[in-house]
Formats: sequence, structure tokens, C-alpha cells
Amino acid sequence: MKNDSALLIVKGLHVSFFTEKGIAHAVQDVGFSVKKGQTFALVGESGCGKSVTALSIMRLIPEPPGKIEAGEILFRDRNLLALPEYQMRAIRGNHIAMIFQEPMTSLNPVYTIGEQIIEAIQLHQKKTEEQAWELAIETLQKVGIPEPRQRISEYPHQMSGGMRQRVMIAMAISCKPEMLIADEPTTALDVTIQAQILDLLDELQRQSQMSILLITHDLGIVEERASDVAVMYASKIAELAGCKDLFEKPFHPYTQGLLKSMPHLGFTEKRLNTIPGIVPDPLHFPSGCKFHPRCYLGCNDKRCRTIEPELREVALERKVACWYAPGYEKPDDPKL
Amino acid sequence: MDKPVQQKHWGVSYGEMVWREFAKSRFTLCWLGFIVFLFFLAIFAPFLANDKPFVIRIEGQLRLPLFRDLNATDFSIFLAAIIGLIQLLLIGRNRKRIDPSIRSGVLWRQIFINVFILITGIMLLYSFIPRRLDATDYKSMVASGKATGAIFAPVPYGFGRTDLKVREQPPNSQHWLGTDDVGSDVLCRIIHGSRISLSVGFVAVGISSIIGIFIGSILGYSGGKADFLGMRLVEIMMAVPVFFLILTIIAYYPRSLFNIMLIIGLTTWTEDARFVRAEFFKLRRQDFVQAAISLGLPLRSILFRHMLPNAIAPVLVNASFGIAGAIFIEAALSFLGFGVAPPTPSWGQILSLGVSTTGRFLWWLTVFPGLAIFFTVLAYNLVGEALRDAIDPRLREAL
Repeated sequence: MKNDSALLIVKGLHVSFFTEKGIAHAVQDVGFSVKKGQTFALVGESGCGKSVTALSIMRLIPEPPGKIEAGEILFRDRNLLALPEYQMRAIRGNHIAMIFQEPMTSLNPVYTIGEQIIEAIQLHQKKTEEQAWELAIETLQKVGIPEPRQRISEYPHQMSGGMRQRVMIAMAISCKPEMLIADEPTTALDVTIQAQILDLLDELQRQSQMSILLITHDLGIVEERASDVAVMYASKIAELAGCKDLFEKPFHPYTQGLLKSMPHLGFTEKRLNTIPGIVPDPLHFPSGCKFHPRCYLGCNDKRCRTIEPELREVALERKVACWYAPGYEKPDDPKL
Repeated sequence: MDKPVQQKHWGVSYGEMVWREFAKSRFTLCWLGFIVFLFFLAIFAPFLANDKPFVIRIEGQLRLPLFRDLNATDFSIFLAAIIGLIQLLLIGRNRKRIDPSIRSGVLWRQIFINVFILITGIMLLYSFIPRRLDATDYKSMVASGKATGAIFAPVPYGFGRTDLKVREQPPNSQHWLGTDDVGSDVLCRIIHGSRISLSVGFVAVGISSIIGIFIGSILGYSGGKADFLGMRLVEIMMAVPVFFLILTIIAYYPRSLFNIMLIIGLTTWTEDARFVRAEFFKLRRQDFVQAAISLGLPLRSILFRHMLPNAIAPVLVNASFGIAGAIFIEAALSFLGFGVAPPTPSWGQILSLGVSTTGRFLWWLTVFPGLAIFFTVLAYNLVGEALRDAIDPRLREAL
């Protein structure tokens, strides 16, 4: 494979949640690779399994009810899913760090932000209290917090959402991880702050050659930043492609729908396009292609309703799971 | 560490917020004051009620019988009180001088050093201070003119001193709260009894809180099968009638204060465990706990540094109710004759003498220790309630 520069490879990941109502297959057969120093975007609607994928990489899936049933997550050729917990702890924060969606609740209300950053620094690096203190101030400066020397002694409740997200990023990058997982880092923030935070992530990536796994439902923020994009729908990857290719010529009708429902500057459509229907319940996925009830192509096609298309490489570095995609082979079933 | 002093930027910490909310009510502060007063009584009991004078002149020689009579326990209590006071002052100083980011580290260092000093101090005191038995009757010496210039404590009676001439006397000018069946002064015994009641409350609740927090946090964090089995164990513990268990155990083991504290502590941790478990269940899903795990922090830090301070509120509240409960249990045990061995005074033990061997009802032996128990338990309950109210709104707005 082309993974000379791949930092993280996910192969055949399968995560299920055993609930009282039944087994929910939250993630099925998901595979992708994140290259060194680049941004990989995982896009999809709420509940499609993108956050579960991210949590699986950090091994943060609560067990029970969740369970990683199959798959491999190779980080620098080590399978994270096979590591014992204590080795996993050495990877978390130090090599792979994560920032969360909700900055208002992601910081411990009992401690000052400095205390929380310093604890992370001292955990992974041999530093005295003073060195850690200076490094924390330096990191806060880097993420654009004004007057870090004073701000370091403040409690989370004294800061705004945008500031808190900057602190979260500071905590995550304080140990210089090779990879940062950003789980909807801007969803809870104002639009103006969103751009600032994303620019900050770009800036940090350029400085330290860090890989970013960006998880979002907003295709708009992906376009300029990611090198590769995976579109997830109902626990599976629907389309996996280079960012440019995907935006130029989306193959999967779901991707097409997502792109059409993005507002564009300068266009004067009266109404924004939407995809009809809702995301299927993970406890009761539809038969065949999971997207067929909402699809303009396949809603009446017997093939789409009965046989689920698998993810196949249809062009160079381009995978899609749709019977109608150009280059996608038809099934050799005589009945159809 | 020398950190730039930038006071105006320091935020209000968790503890300060709770304290401000708590101190809003005068009523609550009064009851807190009452508890402080009880501590004062307990610490200075030998100076408040003692049959030995502070100073006395016998045959021209100046003597200090009261100070000579203090034993290792008294000195240990003084030492603990002084160290406790120093720690409180240090906390006040930390708030002004130490940056909040390193404050908890400094605080733990101070507590560690102080506890170390306390423990070594107590061991030294017990090994170097001999037990003296001074049976001299200084009062009769003063009365017969052998000694002069005696200054007695406000309540000039010893708690172990018996005087059969004045037994079962109702309150009078000599004995303000009357005397019991062997002629000991009731006020003196109540003052000394506060030591037993307070120490039983604090030590028993300390033991039960530590066990409860430890078990509750592990059950709440781990969940699954461990939690299921653990909770069944807790339920079995809760189904056992604790008071009768204590009675049974006390009947087999020597009647000592330490045994009573230990048994109360070992049997009443179930409430704390359930509270902490429920809080941890909620907290485990909180983003900041997930964030702490994703930073690679060890389990010890996640459980006790990041989750526990956010889950401690119900334990603190329960502790104040628990102290009241422990005082009750000790009083009930003493009342039934299973408490501390006489002549060591305890409120429940004084209460148990309310009906004399001749069948007379001695109201002063019932009312005064009864009131002492009543007000102490009431004070702890009210303070606990105020604490709960103080903690709640803060959590609502900050989380």
C-alpha cells in the first residue's frame, strides 16, 4: 500500500454497543489512513459513527456497553487495540492527543487551567515545576491567549468558550503529539471564533508537522484544510477520496447531497438543497444500501434495496460504495 | 517558589465559592460557632473543670498541680489543636500568597508535614510523659489552712473524683448541674464528656468516609460486573442492623473508645459508598474526565484528583450527618452500659444514671446531658444542611 508516509492506519474497524434495545453497530468495517503532517477529515451527519471511530483510536469507548469487535488501528506500525492499558496511557496525550466538541465542559472546574496543563506536561516530560510552568505559559501564548502569565492562574469558569477551546488545544499540544484528533472542535463555538480556532490548528500543524484527524459535519471547513476526506454514512464509509477530487466530482449520492446542501457565497438560490429523510437508527438499519431510502438514484432499484455495496477502489486513491458510481462493477447475480 | 504576585487576576476557587455561599446565613454561622465552642470545651477541658488548682502555695512552696497532672492524652490534644490552627492559618495565607495553580500541591505538602509532626509528636509525648496519680485533696488542704493562694478551675471538680457525702444532689450553688450516684459533678463530667463525643464522631466518620469513598469510587468508575457484585455487597451490609451488630461485637471485645470508633466506622460506610458511586457514574461520562483520560493521566489521578473533588460534596454533607449519628450511637451504647468504661465520662453514660438504683428519677442527670447531645446533633445536622445548599447552586451554574 501507499502507506510509507502514513502515521495512522485504521483497518476494518468494527464497534458495537450492546444496549437494552439490541445491538447497535455504530462503526462497521471502517478503514482509512492518516498521513504524516496532513489533515484527514471524517465527515458525516450526527450518529454516523465518526466520533465513535475517534474514541476507538484513543481506546476511550466505554466498555460495557461498547465493544471494539474487530479491526486494527496501526499507529507507527503498532496495533493500538492490542496494547495493554499502561502502554496505551503512554500514547495518549504524548503521541496522540484529542480535543473535544464541548469546551464548556471539557475542563475540570475545580482546577486552574495552569494546573491542568502542568499536570499533563509533567506526566509525559521530565520537567521541574518551574520548567513546566514556563512551558505552559509558552503554550498558552502559542494558542493565542492574551496575557498568559495572568490567565494561567484562572479557573475555567472565568473564560469564554473560545478561550476554553484554546486552552484545550494548549493542553493537547503541550506534549507535542504527532497526531491530534479534533472531534468537532468548532461546533459549539461562534462562527467568528470557529475560523480563528481552525486557523490556529492549521498554524500549529505547519509549525510542528502534526497530523490532524478532523471530525466534523461541516463540509465547508474541510474544503480548504484537509488533504483527504472520508464521508461516513450510517456506520460505514460511503466515499473516501482526496479533498480536491471529492469536491470537484463527488461519486456517492450522499456526498453529492451534502455538497449541494452547503450554502455558497455569490449564489442566489431561493432555497438550500436538503437530503430528504433522516439518518437511520443504528438499531434498525435498512436492508441493502443503507442510503437507498434517501437516495435519488437508488430508491426504486431492487439491487440497491437488497445488496449492500462494499467500499471499492474505483479510481486512483478513490474509494466509493455505490452501485451507480462510475467504474463500480455491477454484481454478478443473475437474479438481478 | 517565587511566583509573581498578581492577586487581582486570581479567580475564586471551588472552596472559596462554597464558603461564601455557606457564610451568607448568620443562622448557620451561629451553629458553626457552637461547634467551634464544643471544640474549645473539649480541648481545654482540664483547665475548665479540674479538682487540682492552677497554682497553690503549700508550706511556702509554690506548686502547679494542674499542669503537673496533665497526661499524654491532654498534651496530644493540645498539639493536635495547635497544628490544626496553624494549618487553618496556612490555608488563609495560601489564599493570599500562593498562585492557585500550585496551591493544592502546596496544601498537600503542608498537610503531609503537619500530620508527620503530629504523629511523631504524639508518639514522643506518650513515651516521655509518665502517668502520674496525684490523689492529694487540695481543697481540704485549703480548708484546713495547710495551703494558701490556690487558684482553681471554674468548675473545681475532677471527673473521676467521687464524694459520697454529696451523691445524687440536684443542681445547687456548689454543683451547678447537680451530682451523680457517686457524687461526681455533672457539669464537670459533661465538659470532659465532650471529648469522647467529638472524637467518636470525627474518628468514626473519618474511617467510614475513607472506606466509602474508596469503595464507591472504584465501583462507580469501573461499572459492569465489579459494580454489580460490589453493590450487592453494599446492600447486604445495609440490610444488617448496624446497632445490634455493634452491640454484639462490643460484647466480645474489650470496652474501649478505640474499638467503638472502629466498629462504627467499619459499619456505616455504605451510604458514602453509594453517594460516591452515583456521582462517579455521572462524572465518568463528563467531557473533562474523558479529556483527562485522553491526556494519558494514570487512573489514580483521574479517580482521586479529577473526579473526587467534583464528587465530594455529598460525602461532606453526609459526614456532618454521620458525626451526629456516631454521637448518637456512642450515647446509646453508653446508655446501655456498653460504652466507654467508667470513670471516663461520656454524655450517654451520664444519661444512663438518670434512674438511680433506688428507683428515683434524677431529672438533672437526664436533661443536661440530653440537651448537650441534642444541641450537638442539631448543630451538625444544620451545618450539614447548609453545606449541601452551599454546594448545590455552584454545581448547577459551573457544570
